[in-house]
Amino acid sequence: MIARFAKIAFGTVAATLAVCAHADEDVLSNNFRVGAYYITYDTQADDLRGAYVPPGARIKLKDVITPYFAYVRRLTPHFSAELALGVPPLTKTYGKGPAKLGSVPYNDQEIVTARWLAPTLLLNYTFFDESVRLRPYIGAGINYTRFYSRKSTPAGDAAAGGPTSISLTTSVGPAATIGLSYRITRSFFLYGSLSASQVDTNLTANTAGVLRKTHVSFGPRAAVLAVGYSF
Amino acid sequence: MLRLVTGLCSLGIIAGVIGLAGCGSDSESATVGVSTDRGTLLYDPPFRIASLTAADFGAELGAQAAGASLLAVAGQPACGVDFYHIEYNTVGGAGEKTTASGALLVPTGAGTGCSGPRPIVLYAHGTQTDKTANLADITNTSNSEGALIAAVFAAHGFIVVAPNYAGYDTSTLPYHPFLNGDQQSKDMIDGLTAARSALPHTMSSATSDNGKLFITGYSQGGYVAMATHKALQAAGVAVTASAPMSGPYALEAFGDAIFYGSVDIGSTVFGSMVASSYQHSYGNLYTTPTQVFEATYAANVAADILPNATPVGTLFSTGKLPQTALFNSTTPVTGNAQLDAALAVPANPVFALGFGPSNLITNDYRLSYVLDAVNNPDGAVPTPRPDLGLAPAAAPANTLRQDLKTNDLRNWAPHSPMLLCGGDQDPTVFYSVNTGTMQAFWSSLPAGLVTVLDVNAAPNPASPFAPLQVGFQATLASLLASGGQEAVVENYHTTVAPFCTVAARGFFSQF
Repeated sequence: MIARFAKIAFGTVAATLAVCAHADEDVLSNNFRVGAYYITYDTQADDLRGAYVPPGARIKLKDVITPYFAYVRRLTPHFSAELALGVPPLTKTYGKGPAKLGSVPYNDQEIVTARWLAPTLLLNYTFFDESVRLRPYIGAGINYTRFYSRKSTPAGDAAAGGPTSISLTTSVGPAATIGLSYRITRSFFLYGSLSASQVDTNLTANTAGVLRKTHVSFGPRAAVLAVGYSF
Repeated sequence: MLRLVTGLCSLGIIAGVIGLAGCGSDSESATVGVSTDRGTLLYDPPFRIASLTAADFGAELGAQAAGASLLAVAGQPACGVDFYHIEYNTVGGAGEKTTASGALLVPTGAGTGCSGPRPIVLYAHGTQTDKTANLADITNTSNSEGALIAAVFAAHGFIVVAPNYAGYDTSTLPYHPFLNGDQQSKDMIDGLTAARSALPHTMSSATSDNGKLFITGYSQGGYVAMATHKALQAAGVAVTASAPMSGPYALEAFGDAIFYGSVDIGSTVFGSMVASSYQHSYGNLYTTPTQVFEATYAANVAADILPNATPVGTLFSTGKLPQTALFNSTTPVTGNAQLDAALAVPANPVFALGFGPSNLITNDYRLSYVLDAVNNPDGAVPTPRPDLGLAPAAAPANTLRQDLKTNDLRNWAPHSPMLLCGGDQDPTVFYSVNTGTMQAFWSSLPAGLVTVLDVNAAPNPASPFAPLQVGFQATLASLLASGGQEAVVENYHTTVAPFCTVAARGFFSQF
């Protein structure tokens, strides 16, 4: 289902690019944006499964702010393609559930950190004529998330029972955005947007061969404030 | 160039252009051992199943009736306990390479004697029918023996190493070498080696080995503890002291007593486990299992029915194994009146429980065993024979008796102090045949080297063990009052355990 969605999304973007290859030379077709991502998580995680895990032991994430970068290619007066990126944030995962596992603190303890590389490709539709300064836009596309630099913290190791390796499967899922652009000059713009994407992963913690697993839907929600330059 | 790549990674701009394996590092789990040498760890550091402070451990035990009773005997925990699961390489009954697992219980906390250099107690557990049993799993409420050794030893400053034995838990061995003294002592020694190498790498490394080594164990574990003391002594390794408890040390004598008709409680379990063990280890018990076992059960025993992940009660109720009937209640008739009388169903109602119409061992095999016992008598059973030195038979012909003799512990004497503890009315592992025989066998040893404690004997107020004898006898009286003689018979063996274990702790504490 996700693969099919990705195929359609990329196909649509490619087709639109091809149609608009001979756009008006006077129009500024390239746009770079720099700003800040404020990312919150609507984490839905199953109970951790595996040996010696009490019922109700889960995980949750803490919100992060990270720099935002994007490249946007104008396709038509209303359509554009956006490749949104951010400096991969150090996301902190916390224990959720029992206050203690045995005598080891668990709930609200920072147990895992990981960085996310999560480029998102969007096809945006911008309302109104290009001469209008304030233009709302909506977009839909696909998010690819890969996790790296995954580390169990000392508190995580204590709760897990020893040095622990963490694996998180790569996620590909739909993404959507809604935003406003404000033209300051011919080349400079201000942007504000809200985005959501579906990031599902299977987490496996390995402690001396003892595996604990859970499925996590992170549900990241990103608010972006950015400035853009067109050329 | 390296700096450039790192910078690109941190910007996250190159997704899809280069792989991400080089971006950042991931935390590692334990090192996975590649050696199959005996005593090497499979995972280092080992997995900690739980960590409990002294207060939390005491509270958890006190919240259950059985735990509260244990605390009343063992005392409130003075130390926290970290429960580690160790896995290591060892050997099976035939010398084949295999793995085993065990518990490493480490005292923790700021209390006096809870960290720093501490003595090690090497503990051997009693007969366990559950193949999945793991002494380190304190989260399992049925792990009463794990709770016992944690409460008695670890919570009072002893590092505990307690192998689960090959054939249990994560071990790759498909059977358990039950009462195979050579294999079981190797398993214990390999577990000790593995635990000693793991300890400095654990999350409890503030606690270390002070070099003192105590060995103890209960029931089957009492036998294993003594066999391990013997093996370490033979290898020149110093054993500070040992305390085998309620064990079948004089194995051939014990076997003879059972085949003569003094059938112990649990005999069908022990019988099937001994057969499985010795057939794998020596291959000499039978060519086909029906030579020993009734056809109804022969295939099950040959297929190593115990230990089993299925509860033993289910094995009984589904007819896989008889619950009590080791021998047929229609006993062999040979024409020899004296022999026929010896083979008849005993008048003792406890021994008589071992006879029934749906029995485990055939009459033919029982008769052949007993005839060999008559022709090649053991020095302790049916009556003590000082003229035979209380020793096993010189040349038994029956292969089971040969195997029992191979594993009989009337072939050594300890050089370091030993406490032998038990209860003299034990219907499961007979006290007089085992503890009593060893006491008599070692009667010429220097005074004080072997101390014998019968928790059922009249307390001597001058003895440090008197409070334990009083406590045991009060518990027995309470059992009798609440459940009658049947409850006493059923629970006697397990009731002795905490009192002897606390006696062992007191005995070790003087060194």
